Amino acid sequence: MAEQRPDPMVTGLPSEPGPIPDGASDPDGSSAPAPRLEDAWQAVEDAIANSQAAARADFVARAEAIPAPDTDPADTDAAAATVNAPAAVPQPAARPHIASPIDSPAAALAHRGQATAAPSPVRVGIGLSFRAVLTGTLMIAAVAPIAVVGGVVMLAELYSDAAVMGTLLIAAIVGAAFFGLLAAAVAGSTLTTPLRRITVAVERVAAGEASPPIHVSGDDELARLAESHNRIAAEAARRNRELAALLVAVAGYNPADGLDPLAVRAETDACGIFGLIDCLILPQDPDEAPPEEAVPGLPLPVRAAVKAGGETLGLLSGHLPATRAWERADQDLLDLFASEVGVALRNAQLFGQIERQNARLVELDAAKDEFLRGVSHNLQTPLTSIRAYVDQLRSSSPEAAADRRLQIVAEQSDRLTRLVRQLLTMTRLEAGVLRPEAEVMAIGQRVRKTWEALNATGVVFQMHDASRGWLAVGDPDQVDQVLWALLDNAVKYGGRDGKVEVEILPDEARGLLDVTIVDHGPGVSETDRDRLFSRFTRGETHTSGDGTGLGLYVSRQLLLTMGGELRLEPAQRGLGAAFTASLPGEPPGDEG
Amino acid sequence: MSDHRQRRILLVDDDPSLLVVLAEQLSDDGFEVATARDGQEAVRRLEAGWPDLIVLDLMMPRIDGLALAHQIKSGADLPIIVLSAIDTADSKARLLDEVAEDYVTKPYHYPELRARIERVLSRLGDRIPRQSLVLGPNLTLDLRRRAATVAGTEVQLTPTESRLLGALAANLGEVVGTDTLLSRGWAETEEAEPSYVWVSMRRLRQKIEVDPDRPVHLLTARGLGYKLVECRDDG
Repeated sequence: MAEQRPDPMVTGLPSEPGPIPDGASDPDGSSAPAPRLEDAWQAVEDAIANSQAAARADFVARAEAIPAPDTDPADTDAAAATVNAPAAVPQPAARPHIASPIDSPAAALAHRGQATAAPSPVRVGIGLSFRAVLTGTLMIAAVAPIAVVGGVVMLAELYSDAAVMGTLLIAAIVGAAFFGLLAAAVAGSTLTTPLRRITVAVERVAAGEASPPIHVSGDDELARLAESHNRIAAEAARRNRELAALLVAVAGYNPADGLDPLAVRAETDACGIFGLIDCLILPQDPDEAPPEEAVPGLPLPVRAAVKAGGETLGLLSGHLPATRAWERADQDLLDLFASEVGVALRNAQLFGQIERQNARLVELDAAKDEFLRGVSHNLQTPLTSIRAYVDQLRSSSPEAAADRRLQIVAEQSDRLTRLVRQLLTMTRLEAGVLRPEAEVMAIGQRVRKTWEALNATGVVFQMHDASRGWLAVGDPDQVDQVLWALLDNAVKYGGRDGKVEVEILPDEARGLLDVTIVDHGPGVSETDRDRLFSRFTRGETHTSGDGTGLGLYVSRQLLLTMGGELRLEPAQRGLGAAFTASLPGEPPGDEG
Repeated sequence: MSDHRQRRILLVDDDPSLLVVLAEQLSDDGFEVATARDGQEAVRRLEAGWPDLIVLDLMMPRIDGLALAHQIKSGADLPIIVLSAIDTADSKARLLDEVAEDYVTKPYHYPELRARIERVLSRLGDRIPRQSLVLGPNLTLDLRRRAATVAGTEVQLTPTESRLLGALAANLGEVVGTDTLLSRGWAETEEAEPSYVWVSMRRLRQKIEVDPDRPVHLLTARGLGYKLVECRDDG
């Protein structure tokens, strides 16, 4: 849009009749400093860019359809010209208008001051009216030769000399012809120049550019044509400014502002953009409110339906100064504005609803949190006592320490604790509120401790720790949960006198530490493979039926949250299920 | 276990049966134990004399454990270990960072609880700065919030990282041995190895140094340990 540099001629545009309500309507600000123009242009661009695609399409369709007839009541027969609005919006005359602060009369005055000093309009013609020049020239071209020839003939009769008379007659005819041609050429030039200029100006306006006003002397058709053109150009420029202001205003409507403040703002904007004296947006069906009667000499009532989609939200009604005219194109602009306001109000309504829903969800979330906390507390508190007393009992004497019954109580209370924690973890994972810490740990040691805690008597455990000093990074509590679930599964599905093998291997390329847990049970059936990691899934071959069916699901989610993964390895002959839990790994450190 | 020199612990929990057994366990290990069943009782006990450490349940009827912890901390900088059924993943557990030195979830394993008590008591001498500690234009530590501000950006520290930096900050400019850091950062039951310290220091440098390859705050004293230093030069 490099052609959008300020054009000094544009500043010569006459202001519209009627009051300028504020700076927003100031048309003559092109001579404002360049940065402001740039800002303004940026604002227009932003406005266009920010509008929603649908709104933009709507705008283009409407703007293109806006005709711009002459609004001067004295000259209503002027030719209507269609303004190519989208092309015209960025025209220079529109920019300073955007730059003007909407509520700054001082800026408006400054702009107007500059306007008076601006270059004068283009002058066309020689100071006489087109008709006078045409008549005069025709007279001279037609009458003068006859008069000359007549004069020569009279002279010839006076001298009665045939020879002289013949020469004179020839000279007179030649002279008259020459004079006639000269006069015709002068007249032609004088007459076509203004026509050519008017043509150029009209073409510019038609192309959506700003055109300087053309001044034509006199009171004839040509002068009226030029005047009409000037008015059309001025009207087009004014509507372009209004459109730009409208776009900027609409782009600034934020649904978060709330319904009422938005409505108030839209009312103020309507006054600013359209030069209304007052404006109200009423929650009223326009069809049910009879239009106010227009009384000459009193402010002119204007109105538009505030719509969003197919629904009418209300009525925008205001008054225009009595001196102002209101044409169809103005009404179209107001309708456009009202529908944009309708969309903004509807958005604000929806936004408010969503806000309220969100607030409710947050409340519900907090209530759920509190509930889970309570459940956790109420379940774990008795378990804590059981566990503490068992521990104390078992440490009281060597016989008690060896008592299998006490050991079972301890194990089962541990199991119960684990399951409660698993349920809580799942709930947190689903709520997305689990934020694991990233601590370093030797994973082999964790595996061994977890295995010991499981106390799976009769199951052979083999661990091959090839971590070579690599440490896993994860939340110790959560890693324990994962390892417990996987090892517990391996025991559960690995058969009564099974064997559980664990291999720890760093995946240096991916920076992961892999823990593969293999049992010697029947493995995972094809049907189970697909749904293995979903919630509440237990293998078909399960024997005991205990467990929540959450182990693999929770483990996988936990590992994913910690930047790792859990996968089921392909089945191998002679081996049972093989799961690999990966955690982010840290290569061995030294002091450095 | 005679080397405990009768250090005093106040247990605050609303479950009387737990109070009894835990008090017995701790007494057997040479601690002098007082118990309180709710907040008011806890406050009365505190008025009678300060313990070396408080073990506190976060969820108690009649008084909010968190409020009590704040109340205690506002009176004296007593170390608090929270013993609660609220697990570490709970959003509320985050609130503890400012008031609790450590956190043990219920049901607890007594050896682990005791190891954590030992660890907290062993670093009693460390004066962990309450306010933020400005170590240079590019590093400010805010250990109470487990946070550091590195070149204007806040990074979160893990509990272990925070404890390690606390131990280093308590001896600012001096070398802290790797063994000391091990005992400050990890409980005995975690069987941490020196490589834990090395790797943690490397990770800490990634977090708190602008150029981890050329550290200016967290320096290695080869063969001895690490030190945390101020660096006023922002170049």
